[in-house]
Amino acid sequence: MSAVRITGGKVLDPCHGEVGVVRDVVIKDGRIAAADAVDGPIETIDAKGGVVMAGAIDIHSHIAGGKSNISRLLMSEEQRAIREPAGEFCGCGGGLSTMTAHATGCRYAEMGYTAVFEPAVIASNARHMHAEMKDIPFLDTGGYLVLGNDDFLLDLIASGAGQQAVNDYVAWMLAATKTMAIKIVNPGGINAFKFNARFMQLDEKNPHYEITPRTILQTLIKAVTELGLAHPIHLHGCNLGVPGNEQTTLDTVKAAEGMPLHMTHVQFHSYGTEGDRKFSSGAAKIAEAVNKNPNISIDVGQVMFGQTVTASADLMSQHRNRGIASPKRWIGMDMEMDAACGIVPFAYKDKSFVNALQWAIGLELFLLVEDPWRIYLTTDHPNGAPFTTYPHLIRLLMDKDFRDEQFAKLPKSVRKHSILGELKREYTLEEIAIVTRAAPAKILGFTDRGHLGAGAVGDVVVYEDNADREAMFTTARYVLKDGRVIVKDGAIVDLVYGRTHQVKPDYDKSMEARLDRWFDEAVGYKAKTFKIADHEIRDGQGAVVHATARSA
Amino acid sequence: MTEPLSGGSTHADVVCPFCGLGCDDVSLTVQGASVKAGEGVCGRAAALFARSDEPAPSPRVGGKDVSLEEALRAAADLLSSARSAVYGGLGADVDGVRAVIKLASKTGGSVDHYASPGMFRNLSTSQRKGWIATTIAETRNRADVVLVIGPDPSKAFHQLYAKVTPKTGRFFEGPRKIVFLGGEPTEEAKAQLEGSSVELIAVPAAELVNALARLHTLLAGGKPPVGDLDLAPLAETLKAAKYSVLIWSASSLEADGDLVVERAASVIDTLNVEGRAACLPLSGKDNLTGAYHASLWNIGFPLRIGFRDGVSDHDQQAYATENALKHADVAVWTSSFRPEQPPASDAKLIAVAHPATRFASEPAVFIPVGQPGLDHGGLVFRADSVVGLPLAKYRDAGLPSVAEIAKSILERLS
Repeated sequence: MSAVRITGGKVLDPCHGEVGVVRDVVIKDGRIAAADAVDGPIETIDAKGGVVMAGAIDIHSHIAGGKSNISRLLMSEEQRAIREPAGEFCGCGGGLSTMTAHATGCRYAEMGYTAVFEPAVIASNARHMHAEMKDIPFLDTGGYLVLGNDDFLLDLIASGAGQQAVNDYVAWMLAATKTMAIKIVNPGGINAFKFNARFMQLDEKNPHYEITPRTILQTLIKAVTELGLAHPIHLHGCNLGVPGNEQTTLDTVKAAEGMPLHMTHVQFHSYGTEGDRKFSSGAAKIAEAVNKNPNISIDVGQVMFGQTVTASADLMSQHRNRGIASPKRWIGMDMEMDAACGIVPFAYKDKSFVNALQWAIGLELFLLVEDPWRIYLTTDHPNGAPFTTYPHLIRLLMDKDFRDEQFAKLPKSVRKHSILGELKREYTLEEIAIVTRAAPAKILGFTDRGHLGAGAVGDVVVYEDNADREAMFTTARYVLKDGRVIVKDGAIVDLVYGRTHQVKPDYDKSMEARLDRWFDEAVGYKAKTFKIADHEIRDGQGAVVHATARSA
Repeated sequence: MTEPLSGGSTHADVVCPFCGLGCDDVSLTVQGASVKAGEGVCGRAAALFARSDEPAPSPRVGGKDVSLEEALRAAADLLSSARSAVYGGLGADVDGVRAVIKLASKTGGSVDHYASPGMFRNLSTSQRKGWIATTIAETRNRADVVLVIGPDPSKAFHQLYAKVTPKTGRFFEGPRKIVFLGGEPTEEAKAQLEGSSVELIAVPAAELVNALARLHTLLAGGKPPVGDLDLAPLAETLKAAKYSVLIWSASSLEADGDLVVERAASVIDTLNVEGRAACLPLSGKDNLTGAYHASLWNIGFPLRIGFRDGVSDHDQQAYATENALKHADVAVWTSSFRPEQPPASDAKLIAVAHPATRFASEPAVFIPVGQPGLDHGGLVFRADSVVGLPLAKYRDAGLPSVAEIAKSILERLS
């Protein structure tokens, strides 16, 4: 038996209504236990003056897979400039927006994150994703499978095969790729680009299949609901980055028709066309729609100024953006009748009207969406900024004076176009605990994460209660993973590995024969080669399969 | 799995790990240690899969048979005192590559894959400028026009046309059009191309760069300088295509191959302004692609990496095996897919290699290892970079994996 007692800290556990309650947190055999659960020897951690929270959870961060590697390839200046320093726990990698696997685990852990989810697993690339995620220490991970541009699915919908067949296919794909949720990227648009379409509106027909993004979205919302997945459809909507896309976003909220829908990096989908430059903030309208529709949750995709790289499955959008690549290079790729990717290096500049307004739009969304349980802290790493900017972002949310100082540095034209200066709200520590822990756990369906109640995983963080919230959240005093101390005084002190989360809903076995034929005839290799076996996930150790309504 | 009358077992749907096309319709008959490849497998792969029932050779130190433990200790001793180590070959599955990189990070030294020169020709464009690429399944189904640039890549990728460009595709009418620019199909390729519309445009190897520049000028609406080669019809064919794919094998191009690749990428770039096109750049023998990927996600660079004092860097010249060997005192050669001979050098050689490897001179340490996808399972990547292929174990000849050996040496470093 192993046991740890964290004493004297102020516990912040929004799931149990604890706001700064001074109590001991006891972890026994890797899970949180009652304060009196341990009789025998116990390691004690002094958290006096500190704030104790559950391990943080990043619901949307591109940490692995083919597009991350293309980003590293394109950003070799960054890799050369930023190397992991030598040390006992060094992985000899580097990078910031293109951080290598081992460094990703280290930098997240130092900030108190213990679970990070890769939101764009392309099915044909899933084996790569899993191999790479295995090399990320400290973090629990899992992937959201990208569907909605795959020719098999579009053909199923277009040919009227029916919802049941779609459900069976979705379940088959989740099991084959060992993923945990369904993501849609530009529904039907990535596919349409392969047929040479350049834009795809919510109600525009795919040039080949003649079905609309709305139909694809509604069909997949139904599928995950009927299969009983905990996480709703994770949607990167149509028209990313296009001025005027606020209307598409509002229409998409309506298209959900009250069913649960998670809309991701909404900052990139909240643009109006007002003003001299025909680019304006749609944050107020979008936030109002989110406030009125309890079925909708969002993450922001906050932009921060500086060099980064944008990596997306949305090649249709990234091909439009190729001209603004900085440095001037970019890579696109169509993939396997499945999806695509586009990688465009980009530097957000505070002197740029558009970039500065993007920054303000993200903050407006954070401050205008009222329910912290339906908004999650993300920069869409690395697309808006590297995840290492989270502490700065937290300070912007918690400290109005600091926010106003930063806002004042922006060009006057930008300040005229944003209401940010008028927004008085400051996030409380409790709200930060919600948007970085409790709420992400809830929307992902984890009952044993994001809180400090008995039975929860022993992922616990102790922060200094520092008035400078950026400093407070940059490095934790202690981070425990499954009850083991992995960070002490902001430095890595042990090496442990997390788990990979999956779902495995049941499907009608007649889908096997259909997909065998599809793979043989269209894809060109065998379905059985495509399917990932249990032993391929962390060498057969450390997979967590979550129950669904239709479990196998 | 079936039990033929002659004894042994026949395994169907075996994944082939060699060239990078990832055929998964190989059948293997295994009897004891002997292996014979049956239907569905190309000649090259059949020869590489074949094994006699001879027992695996013993590890050797200085030409003398020793126990595995003695060989591991000898390798660890050499590496512990190495001033400048070079890790070459790198013909291993992803786990093997991971373990070799880890070992190199502890001993210091450079890491490269023996088949990487073609890949670096491709990277000279993709890394500095970028391109639009595609994969095998997209090409199979969408590419109504395929432009094969330079020497026929099927010399290295035997099943290329059968697997990637069958005569018809799901998203276009009629036969596929295949144009060879500066190359011509082998006899074997001609059989695979039957039913497709094949056109040859003769271009001397030295003129390939210019030909692609002319093609690009035409596509961009300009007028190329006067010359013998009329590429206007090809430009029109490409413009009219629904989805054209440009294929080349960078390692079979001439010395100016990096320029060929750059011009080809420009052609694709221009075609995508109004229509759709992409490249399928082929390189990926012996899991080169998997080594490239594992190097990128672990170290941040695409192979040719160096380690010194626990920090890594990247130099495409200095860390290329042939250059690094000039200053090396210890070389670790890994080749588990085929008996590839290590390059000659003055460095003391630790060969973690295929049992049938023939050496020009006896290595300081020889540790025979098994083949991924025959002697042990593992992961390799297909040449189009997206698809990972699962390999399985089909026999037990007592041969360890590269990963096991590299980890064991690491544990024994002093």
